[in-house]
Amino acid sequence: MRRGVGIALILFLLTPWVRAGTSDITLEFWTISLRPFFTDYITELIRTYERQNPGVRVRWVDQPVDAVGQKLLASLAAGTPPDVVNLNVPMAAELAQQEGLRALDGLLRPEDRTRYFDGMLRSFRIRGQIYGLPWYVAPPVVAYNVEVWRRAGLDPDRPPRTTDELIAYARRIKDRTGLYGFMPNVNGTNLLQRFQEAGLPVLEKGRAVFHSPHHVRELQKWVQLFQQDYFPEDTLRRGYLGATERYTAGQLGMLITGPQFLLRVRHDNLAVYHRTRVGPYPLDRGQVIHAPLMGLSVPRTTRHPREAVRFALYVTDDRNQLAFCRIVTIFPTARAAARDPFFTQIPPNPTPEDRARILDARQLPLARDLTVVVPHQGELMKAFRDNIEAAFFGRKTPQQALEDAVRYWNARL
Amino acid sequence: MRGSRALPLAPSRPLLRPRLRAALVAYLFLAPALVLLSAFTFAPLAFGTLLAFADYNVLRPPRWVGLENFRFLVEDPAFGVALRNSLRYLLVVPAIQLAALLLALLVNRRLVGILLFRAAYYVPVITSFAVAGLMWNWMYAQHGVVNWVGLRLGLLPRPFEWLNHPTLALYAVMLVTFWKGIGYYMVLYLAGLQAVPRELEEAARVDGAGRLQVFLFVTLPLLRPTLLLCTLLSTLAALKVFEEVYVMTGGGPFGQTATALLYVYQKAFQEFRWGLAAAAGLLVAVIGLLFSALHVWVFREGGLRPW
Repeated sequence: MRRGVGIALILFLLTPWVRAGTSDITLEFWTISLRPFFTDYITELIRTYERQNPGVRVRWVDQPVDAVGQKLLASLAAGTPPDVVNLNVPMAAELAQQEGLRALDGLLRPEDRTRYFDGMLRSFRIRGQIYGLPWYVAPPVVAYNVEVWRRAGLDPDRPPRTTDELIAYARRIKDRTGLYGFMPNVNGTNLLQRFQEAGLPVLEKGRAVFHSPHHVRELQKWVQLFQQDYFPEDTLRRGYLGATERYTAGQLGMLITGPQFLLRVRHDNLAVYHRTRVGPYPLDRGQVIHAPLMGLSVPRTTRHPREAVRFALYVTDDRNQLAFCRIVTIFPTARAAARDPFFTQIPPNPTPEDRARILDARQLPLARDLTVVVPHQGELMKAFRDNIEAAFFGRKTPQQALEDAVRYWNARL
Repeated sequence: MRGSRALPLAPSRPLLRPRLRAALVAYLFLAPALVLLSAFTFAPLAFGTLLAFADYNVLRPPRWVGLENFRFLVEDPAFGVALRNSLRYLLVVPAIQLAALLLALLVNRRLVGILLFRAAYYVPVITSFAVAGLMWNWMYAQHGVVNWVGLRLGLLPRPFEWLNHPTLALYAVMLVTFWKGIGYYMVLYLAGLQAVPRELEEAARVDGAGRLQVFLFVTLPLLRPTLLLCTLLSTLAALKVFEEVYVMTGGGPFGQTATALLYVYQKAFQEFRWGLAAAAGLLVAVIGLLFSALHVWVFREGGLRPW
């Protein structure tokens, strides 16, 4: 009798805890470098979700962009991964191939899929399965310093429309002012995206094919510009960060970048910001624009996959994407959000960001994340980068560099 | 009781012999440290050594591949470049030791404001590599102060992008290591110099020795343990240099400034080939051990005497 009472008492005491354990869920949500500028937005987003979903708590962790990959890997290895993590396409591809992420196909309803631009959702399709929901995208624009342009005899009302025109403008700025005209996105593996923007293929039937005479000519073009000192040497080493710094210091004619970086120019040098105008990203033969895409992925070992996907769908829904786009010049990946008048009507007294928003929204249908996804991603990309740099520094001819890279790729593909 | 005879007391035998007891006590004191070392040093070392013979990506269990990783390393030209660069980095060792010793001699005086100088030389030591790397990045840039000074003095024909040059970049990074490390060794040498008994130096002076002779035949021999420590530390630091290269060049251009540890990092964190990274790390560790043994042999009592 006494034993029975004891057991009943224990069960009674344990019951609320057991019940609490099954109904109360804490989701860990990792973002990349959103503090402190967007703290209010994310906090409010989470608060609303928690109000709408009693029993679900969301713990927000913001990671620096350089560390997120390693921290995620460490947490996966330790068995304590976040439930939802913000990744770009290259990071998602690398982790999906290492079986660190969960394929979302079985967790998405058909109406969830049709919410996004098809090309953007497809960017997260790796080995035939979806490993991320597109969150926001930032197609590049050309920001230019009108004072430098005037000194170079260029018309500030006529931004470049094509890649060839962009190069001609950059040459003219250097020749007439002594300042560099641009820092083109040809560092690292960006040339793979440039090939596609120029209408040239990278892979065909699973084999690397970027060593045709057209590809060689494309590389040759940039190598010549580099060797003739039409863009600074540190373009290859410092990429867009170096470009933003140089432009902000008033030492660069044009800045090819995501419009969100105008915020940094405004913050660091108001004088240059006031001299800045914005033009559309010049198109090449491929009639496509590489737009780095951010998404939300779910690690493979999360304990709450359904809840994690539900939260990711909430963060990327029309309303929340639109609210995010209103506080920074980024663009929605959801079709309905992109149709909002916010992206079509220019306000009175527009800032460079306002102009960038309208220009970019028009180019949104051409925007796609052109990141090449291959097995052994890190290794193959390093081989490509090393060969291209060898060509830029004259250690290999462009033809030899591309042939060596293709040979390396095809041996590993 | 008067008539009774007290039983003779047997001499009390200690439970353990004194030497054994002393050893036991010593090990008891060592035990907490040993437990921590086992958990955080020996076990990872053993695990890392095992991983060198496995294919492993952190997310899947390791798969034994024998010597495959080492075969790959021998055949990989990128590892050859990285290892050569690490060995080339040893050039910093004599330069930094000599400079630090001279600086220590310079600041080992009773002068007004000497503490300020000592502190000033030590500031780079406590500056993080991220900050120092960023700062030197700007100084080495095309419009940076290094080019400005070089051009003003007529030493450079045109501005260089120092960190982008396939050959110069590594030496440019070495200079940062030199600048950042010199204060650390200076402090060690300063401590060593201040431990040298004044009487010995004074006795040598009374015997007619000049300042150089006192330094060479009295001070320097007494600095032998400090010399061993400093050269050993800087040799190992040079062999496993990573942060400065990672922050300043990332191993580029085209892998020409990569060092062995950067190679390990790239294989582990960028390509997820942890077994291969462990094998490369093991090779670097073995080379480090060989250099350590060489140092201990050179600086042994009665060993090589350069003075």
